[in-house]
Amino acid sequence: MTVHTAAPEVRIRDLTVVYKTPAGELPAVRGVDLTLAPGTITGVVGESGSGKSTLALSLLNAVQPPGRIAAGSVEIDGLGDVLTLWGEDLRRARGRQVGYVFQAAQNSLNPLKTIGKQLLDLGRSHDVADLRALVRDAKDLLARMGMDGARVLDSYQHELSGGMRQRVGIMLALVLNAKVVVLDEPTTALDMITQATILRIIREVHEERALTTLVITHDVGAVAEVADSLAVMYGGRVVEHGPVTEVLGNARHPYTQGLIRAIPRLSGDLSLARALPGRPPTLGTLPGQGCVFRERCERRMEVCETDDPLPVNRDGRMVACHAADRHLTLVERKEFV
Amino acid sequence: MITGIGITKTFRQRGGVLGAREVPALRGVDFAIDKGGAVSFIGESGSGKTTLGRIIAGLETHDGGEIVIDGVPMSSLRHRRRQPYFRRIQLIHQDPYSALNPTRTIHQTLEAPLRLRARQTGRSRSWADARAGELLSMVGLDPGYVLPRYPHQLSGGMRQRVVIARALTMDPEVLVADEAVSMIDVSLRLGILALLKDLRERLGVGVLFITHDIATARYIGDDGELYVLYRGQVVERGPTEKIIADPVHPYTQSLLSAIPVLHGLERPGAERVVPLETQREATPGPGCLFAPRCPFATERCERETPALSRDGQTEHACFHPQRRSVIPVGVGE
Repeated sequence: MTVHTAAPEVRIRDLTVVYKTPAGELPAVRGVDLTLAPGTITGVVGESGSGKSTLALSLLNAVQPPGRIAAGSVEIDGLGDVLTLWGEDLRRARGRQVGYVFQAAQNSLNPLKTIGKQLLDLGRSHDVADLRALVRDAKDLLARMGMDGARVLDSYQHELSGGMRQRVGIMLALVLNAKVVVLDEPTTALDMITQATILRIIREVHEERALTTLVITHDVGAVAEVADSLAVMYGGRVVEHGPVTEVLGNARHPYTQGLIRAIPRLSGDLSLARALPGRPPTLGTLPGQGCVFRERCERRMEVCETDDPLPVNRDGRMVACHAADRHLTLVERKEFV
Repeated sequence: MITGIGITKTFRQRGGVLGAREVPALRGVDFAIDKGGAVSFIGESGSGKTTLGRIIAGLETHDGGEIVIDGVPMSSLRHRRRQPYFRRIQLIHQDPYSALNPTRTIHQTLEAPLRLRARQTGRSRSWADARAGELLSMVGLDPGYVLPRYPHQLSGGMRQRVVIARALTMDPEVLVADEAVSMIDVSLRLGILALLKDLRERLGVGVLFITHDIATARYIGDDGELYVLYRGQVVERGPTEKIIADPVHPYTQSLLSAIPVLHGLERPGAERVVPLETQREATPGPGCLFAPRCPFATERCERETPALSRDGQTEHACFHPQRRSVIPVGVGE
């Protein structure tokens, strides 16, 4: 069964990923430093175009052309720098060391093969000697997630509901005993109750198997429920990172503050909720210099136009904002698109 | 004023080894949408909320029951005579990326329905042109910027505003918004919700809001009515704020309990309800539809079906209604 070794640490350093466009190579992820502490769940939250999925793919060194990892390193304990791996070594690391649950796991299964067949394919491609043991592990994992393992392995993907397919995706990512797991939008397109179940399963399996987990999502609520630490991405940058209760309870970056204010809640005063003005940047509209958020920021200063704010670490938290340490009264702004 | 009485709808699936399979989508739903009111249908996939919205918008037929618009039962009218009634109800699509024709500029997209509207009301073409700009300003867009552009040149939030402007070309009395913000970036969602709220207040347009996200329903109409649907039945109904604060049906409680807690800002409700998981949901027994998943179900729930009954301000269909505090509360409250 499962071998419980210590969870590895993942160190992303100065990672830059560029995409080739008619306007030249543009950075989707720029100079990102992020450490995933061993045995924790890190949530990365961001809107479309924030670079969160590109960041996640970098952990597998799987950025596809026209994208290219231009600089930086991704060190995983016991594996080394993933970005220097290639060919067979890289293929083996994917699945063995780093498990990946793809965005819409619903659509990432082969519709022509039963789940069991796909499991055996996975085992063979990783030279698993004892395929029976692999099937047994898979059944245990599925049972752990509240499903009838034998039945699921005999099923085709269309016979399973969205929540069940998501669990199959998690099983396939974990069955080779990967210690680092990346989940890309694990709850998107799921019903509320199913979402709550999946989040609980992620948390429990993470603890039982001593994993280091990265959850990528656009849904602040989903990460709030499951993560230990929260990184907020905007325009290819990590703008704030820290323990989840502190980042949400006492956000320091204006973007994080705006994002939290823009979420309608079940209790409290509705009139306090307001939309962030402006819209998220795309690769083409990212400013070449200065802060990426300044266009939508209510606290922008002159320096924001020219200087990129450097990440500042204090009290176990990171914030990249020129205005973060200044206390200013927030200005009310009219909402527009 | 639109009312529905005992609406039923069954989809028939063809094929399969055992021949046709019947899937009941709606099992006798009553509802009422007042002029300028805000009504929300809440439920998971398979609850029938989207089917009900499409029936109300006149885009889907129903098998049983009656839709009454301003006192006129729709079944008494021939198809052509119904159209002027359903014109007053316009659907806002979920996906702003596929709801607009990519080969037409926004001007062309708005022009066609506006010309039709001009003919219907005996107005001139120049009215139609001026109206296009007016509608875009109304939804918070700059007509000069948006009119000559194609959908791909606009952001998701802008496109959804164009879709709303297009729905307004027909001078509707009710807008049916089916998951209108689920495809939009989180930071922009509230802007669209605020727009719908604003249209309600300024134009007196009623909003039928169909969603799985109860918090957004609260934002659209805290003075509105909330219908909680489960597998084609209304299980709880009442004023939105009341249902959210004091849910009594175990399914409503499960839905509200499933909403993620923003730790650091909120603490979870003390009595969160987690429904049981069951693999045999396809064939319901004679009793309550939620009984197989209900943690509080008794023998009676397996045998009998609870009817929707009034209880103070709200209605619910449960033999064991009990108030539980399930929603997350702000840390400071």
